[in-house]
Amino acid sequence: MTRSRIFAILFFAAAMAALAACGDKAPSLATPATPAKPAPGNNATKTLRITFQTAETGFDPVKVSDYYSGVVIAAIFDPLLTYDYLARPAKLVPNVAVALPHITDNGRTYTFRLKPGIHFTPDPAFKGQKRELTAADYMYSIKRFLDPKNRSPYAFLFEGKIVGLDKLADEAKKSGRFDYDAPIAGFETPDRYTLRIRLTETDFNFSHVLAFPLVGAVAREAIAAYGDDTNAHPVGTGPYFLQRYVRSSKIVLDTNPDFREMRWNATSADPADQAIITRMQGKKLPLIERVEISVMDEAQSRWLAFQRRETDIEYQLEELAPKFMTADGKLKPEYSSQGIRMDRSVDPEIIYLFFNTQDRIGGDPNPLGGFSTEKIALRRAMAMAYNVEDQIKIIRKGQSIRAHYPIPPGVAGHEPQFRAGVAYDPPLANALLDRFGYRRGADGYRTQPDGKPLIIKYYSTPTERDRQFDELMKRSMDRIGVRIAIHKDRFAELIKLANQCRLMMKHSAWIADYPDGDNFMQLLYGANAGQSNSACYKSAEFDKRYEKSRQLPDGAERNKLYREMTRQMEADGAWLLTDSRYRNVLLQPYVVGYKKHPVFSHEWLYMDLDAREAR
Amino acid sequence: MTAYILRRLWQFVPTLLGVVLLVFVLFNWIGGDPAYLLAGKMSNPEQIENIRRQLGVDQPYYVQLWIFITQIVTGDFGASWATNEKVSGIFATRLGPSLTVLVPMLIISTLLSMGLALLVAYWRGSLTDRAIMIGCTVGQSISILVYIIVFQYVFAYQLGWFPVQGWGQDFFTNLLKFSALPIVVGVAVSLAPDTRLYRTFFLDEIHQDYVRTARAKGMSETRVMGVHVLRNAAIPIVTNVMIQLPALLAGAFLIERFFSIPGIGREVLLAVERSDFPVIKAVTIYVAVATLCFNLLADILYRALDPRVQLK
Repeated sequence: MTRSRIFAILFFAAAMAALAACGDKAPSLATPATPAKPAPGNNATKTLRITFQTAETGFDPVKVSDYYSGVVIAAIFDPLLTYDYLARPAKLVPNVAVALPHITDNGRTYTFRLKPGIHFTPDPAFKGQKRELTAADYMYSIKRFLDPKNRSPYAFLFEGKIVGLDKLADEAKKSGRFDYDAPIAGFETPDRYTLRIRLTETDFNFSHVLAFPLVGAVAREAIAAYGDDTNAHPVGTGPYFLQRYVRSSKIVLDTNPDFREMRWNATSADPADQAIITRMQGKKLPLIERVEISVMDEAQSRWLAFQRRETDIEYQLEELAPKFMTADGKLKPEYSSQGIRMDRSVDPEIIYLFFNTQDRIGGDPNPLGGFSTEKIALRRAMAMAYNVEDQIKIIRKGQSIRAHYPIPPGVAGHEPQFRAGVAYDPPLANALLDRFGYRRGADGYRTQPDGKPLIIKYYSTPTERDRQFDELMKRSMDRIGVRIAIHKDRFAELIKLANQCRLMMKHSAWIADYPDGDNFMQLLYGANAGQSNSACYKSAEFDKRYEKSRQLPDGAERNKLYREMTRQMEADGAWLLTDSRYRNVLLQPYVVGYKKHPVFSHEWLYMDLDAREAR
Repeated sequence: MTAYILRRLWQFVPTLLGVVLLVFVLFNWIGGDPAYLLAGKMSNPEQIENIRRQLGVDQPYYVQLWIFITQIVTGDFGASWATNEKVSGIFATRLGPSLTVLVPMLIISTLLSMGLALLVAYWRGSLTDRAIMIGCTVGQSISILVYIIVFQYVFAYQLGWFPVQGWGQDFFTNLLKFSALPIVVGVAVSLAPDTRLYRTFFLDEIHQDYVRTARAKGMSETRVMGVHVLRNAAIPIVTNVMIQLPALLAGAFLIERFFSIPGIGREVLLAVERSDFPVIKAVTIYVAVATLCFNLLADILYRALDPRVQLK
């Protein structure tokens, strides 16, 4: 063997060894599972394998806003309240609280009594001691949302809500330090297990905020121990704990060995749910002992992996729906014959087209804005001309349903019988524009009643999907002679423009943070202009009813106000509601007890895997 | 030699400054305001301002630029804006998976394409040469996306030879099980252009006088091609390989996305989607530095391969 060959072999061996060291480094440097945690007691048949289509950002409840992080957080942390797994619309039930809150002082004071004996998962932060969940943990966890250092995306859930909390946040902005120990009138913990929250105004729906998965309890010691890296070290009291975490790639959750006694107990009037109830009622939870989550960015990879049974549930295959679904929304026989099932539900979301109702946009006159009759007529005509059915059929490929009401199915306040007052009718839209003086020019496009050119700016992102929306918008508006100028910009810039009320017209979407109508009706509240109210719609009639609705619990009286508000919005032409998307969830034959919940993202707490089925 | 290396290292400074300026201007010009992405669904101007202050994007541009330069000098790019993970941690954990796929891919594709190119150069004008060249032209004109989708479907899904996707915890499982198909895809993609390129390098050498002389002296064809021609064609080949090396740092984002490999390419893509400037900055600078270093290394290797080359 020549010297050069020996050198080559040695070089190759050294390179492989270096690579091995580098490759081995990845898992070890990936955030390790907390060493003090007990070994998982799982067996192979109870491991659920699911996928995320986008990487999570982290697991500190106050620091994240993405769906995927929320899924894991929901499994690790415990909010005070939760929802019945099967009841629709979603029904609040106690979680770590003994009962639903005792609401007094005309909806201003909420008193919770916590179940004693609930413990955080063992963690080095507790120095070997068992750490019991107390009322003070919730007080601390809620305060964290308003700590400016955390820059919480969900701070709005508590802003202006709790007596004294905003003042504390203001002081923190000045001093640079949030004083968690400062007593405020809004929180009271008369004993270890009692939490009393005082609100600044009547709010009978505040319970929904406290059932939001991100409002789970964290332990102050754990937050202090992990400093800036709390996103990688979630320590909660929930059914699972983080066993292994390779960021943006793999998340393994194991059953919390100290999880409290919790039995499967759900109610439903739906006959289709009776089989689940019969099979699952009374079983100790969680039944699935390990959850392995893989981040798979591409739909093809997820679809092939599911078909090869490398995964057990597949949540997100919208673009591939025609591959496994028939035109009428059923699973194709070749898959159902394998025992694969599909759970189809409508997401608790609305997609809508909003029209900026302000007179001026950034100093320039807004041809769409204002509440004069001709401006309202223009907005209504455009709403009548936009072809929602084509949006559903062509762009969504049939994977959505027409939205008629601002509150989607599954959310308290939804009105299934309600029908939008503005129907697709281009001839009528043309007649309306003719009547209000929008004359057609030689080029076929209309001018404003005062003779000025009528150009409507429509905003979208430079993506393939939005290009389809652009084309549909142009086609629809051409039919009534309204000239559309398409403006493309990056997502972040569009949010910025929306917050400045500078978007003339755009499609937008809202998915429920919590399943209560208020979470949707606030999108049209005048005071939220420049925040969630992108249309910058300000109607005294609407606002008056909205403010009244906030004083009422879910029920007929509030629903009546919501109907009136919706009609008011339609009359003013602020929005055109378009659709709500279907969620098609594919399940392997051995997955038992699955039913998509409007807001739960961790249904696996209530599910099982049938070991008798071949895997 | 030392003087040459020192001179080249000194030239790194203006080049890197150019890169820094370009990245900084591009991000601030087209990157969008990250505060609006981080603020969540509902935010007021006060919250936006708080986020901008914490990220430091409320500072004047010259201050931000100075911070950027300081970060390069110290090698500390801070933490990701989106996840709060240390940028150094991102590199430490994501580089391994990328290299596990890309290093074998580069070695195999270079060796295969060199061998194939040498053969077709030797048989220039024959049916084999033409058939392989037509195959290369066709192969080169197919997008990597098609290779990935077809290979994943056929070899992983239909034939079941490989897992569809995934990544394990130990190096050899990752190399032999999860990286195998991505490596095959990568080799298939680069084989065609590399073979065509290297063939021209070999053809340039085959007609040189020294080859004729070697043959006239009665040297075997194996020795003529495998030693003399190969060695002389090595300089442009080394250049080509060196050009590809810095790309290893950036990963192969499409392959990593489709095969769920937790590599640096996928992370870069995520950073762009999230306007995560610290990660984008770090990757750009590391790739720029690696490119400069590998170019220097290539020049030094020329000298090792061909003593006639003078480094001035």
